[in-house]
Amino acid sequence: MALEQVDIKRRLSGVDVPTRRKGLLVTPELCIGCRGCQTACKEWNKLPGDRTVNRGTYENPPDLTPNLFNRIRFVEVGSGDALKWLFISQRCMHCTDAGCMKVCPAPGALYRTDEGAVAFNKDKCIGCKFCVAGCPFNIPRYDEQGRVAKCHLCSDRIAYGLQPACAKTCPTGAIRFGDREELVSYAKNVGFKSLYGMNDLGGLGVLYAFKEKPSYYGLPDKPDFAPTISLWKGILKPLALIGLGGALAAAATHYITVGPKETDEGGEE
Amino acid sequence: MEKRLLQKTTAWERCNHWILALSFIVLFLTGLGFLYQSLNWINTVFGGNHLAKEIHRWGGLVFAISLILTMGNYFAEAVSFTEEDKKWLSSLGGYFSRTEEPPPQGRLNAGQKLFYLVVVLIFGLAISLSGFMLWFFNTSRGLILFAHFLHNLSYIVFAFAVPLHIYLSTAANPGTLRVMTRGTVSAAWAKKHHGKWARDMGVD
Repeated sequence: MALEQVDIKRRLSGVDVPTRRKGLLVTPELCIGCRGCQTACKEWNKLPGDRTVNRGTYENPPDLTPNLFNRIRFVEVGSGDALKWLFISQRCMHCTDAGCMKVCPAPGALYRTDEGAVAFNKDKCIGCKFCVAGCPFNIPRYDEQGRVAKCHLCSDRIAYGLQPACAKTCPTGAIRFGDREELVSYAKNVGFKSLYGMNDLGGLGVLYAFKEKPSYYGLPDKPDFAPTISLWKGILKPLALIGLGGALAAAATHYITVGPKETDEGGEE
Repeated sequence: MEKRLLQKTTAWERCNHWILALSFIVLFLTGLGFLYQSLNWINTVFGGNHLAKEIHRWGGLVFAISLILTMGNYFAEAVSFTEEDKKWLSSLGGYFSRTEEPPPQGRLNAGQKLFYLVVVLIFGLAISLSGFMLWFFNTSRGLILFAHFLHNLSYIVFAFAVPLHIYLSTAANPGTLRVMTRGTVSAAWAKKHHGKWARDMGVD
């Protein structure tokens, strides 16, 4: 169901839904790699399976697709004789300062829900793929119709006070859903001094409780979108209107001060 | 002075110019609609974002083709820098004085040559090429970012230069617009604005 329909229904039903920012807390140490979250996500979002091939690993599919919003990435790290086998949920981070939303030229194609999720509306997407370039985590995918697809934090579930499908199905609590603030204090209580995504990009909606460096888990240590985006948004974009206004103002000023170069037509014209 | 008309542009140049101008206006407006959320209503006028995107893309193709044809019209003249151009630049075309007359110029004055070389040639190519990158090569993140930046940078140049171009060809210099409507100018206009060209055309 499109979220806009949910919104209307919710408002009509008068259900009091908290609008505090929601988020996920992902703890790779707790993940057993069952991939129930992948399946639950597909089921709720009615996403078909992707045909894949055996690559000699349990990790499957090899990457996010337009039909896979949440994927468990299998991280194998060898140190001496020991092998560490880690699992981490890869999906949209629901950034506060979302690069995808910054560059999107079609208002409403990507939008912020009351719960702080970055959701999408395929009908409004014009398929320009700017969001792919704007995302610091390489998350948005495009379906066969050229429309954006990604995790939307089950915005049509959490709007009704339900958990996202992935968190609901997770048997170990590796994906935990709740108020973002509560997730932060919970993580502190269980011994994580700092969380990945705590302050990055204005605070991520998906927080990671890491014991190692983020790059160990395949995430950027200091996530940020490309500097050209800030430059564009902060300087170029305002400059376009200032330039237009400036040109008009300059022309008007010139006309009333210096004045036009009239041609002496000898009485004619 | 006898009323005499001089042919300044060919019919081909004028058609070329107006197709370029029309496509520019459509591209400029739809671009404005995409650039600013608060101005997105402009694209509603163009039939919504989906249709506006198609109009912007195909309009871009018309613009790019017209641009290349325009280059053929003025390139040789624009790259020839003469003594007259030097004089024109040092007096800024006389535009900052009520009384100063522009130094005698050829068919194109130095300002027009600069507009052509900088705005039309450099940024026209930049905005067209980056537009095609965004249209056809949008599978590479780096390429999208580069093209997106270049497209916007050139857009600023156009947003600034084109209104001035329109002002200079209408209100600032009465009698100039007909260069692009009728193709002819009065001998008096030619003597005032393009003295050297007027002499070459046999006006004394």
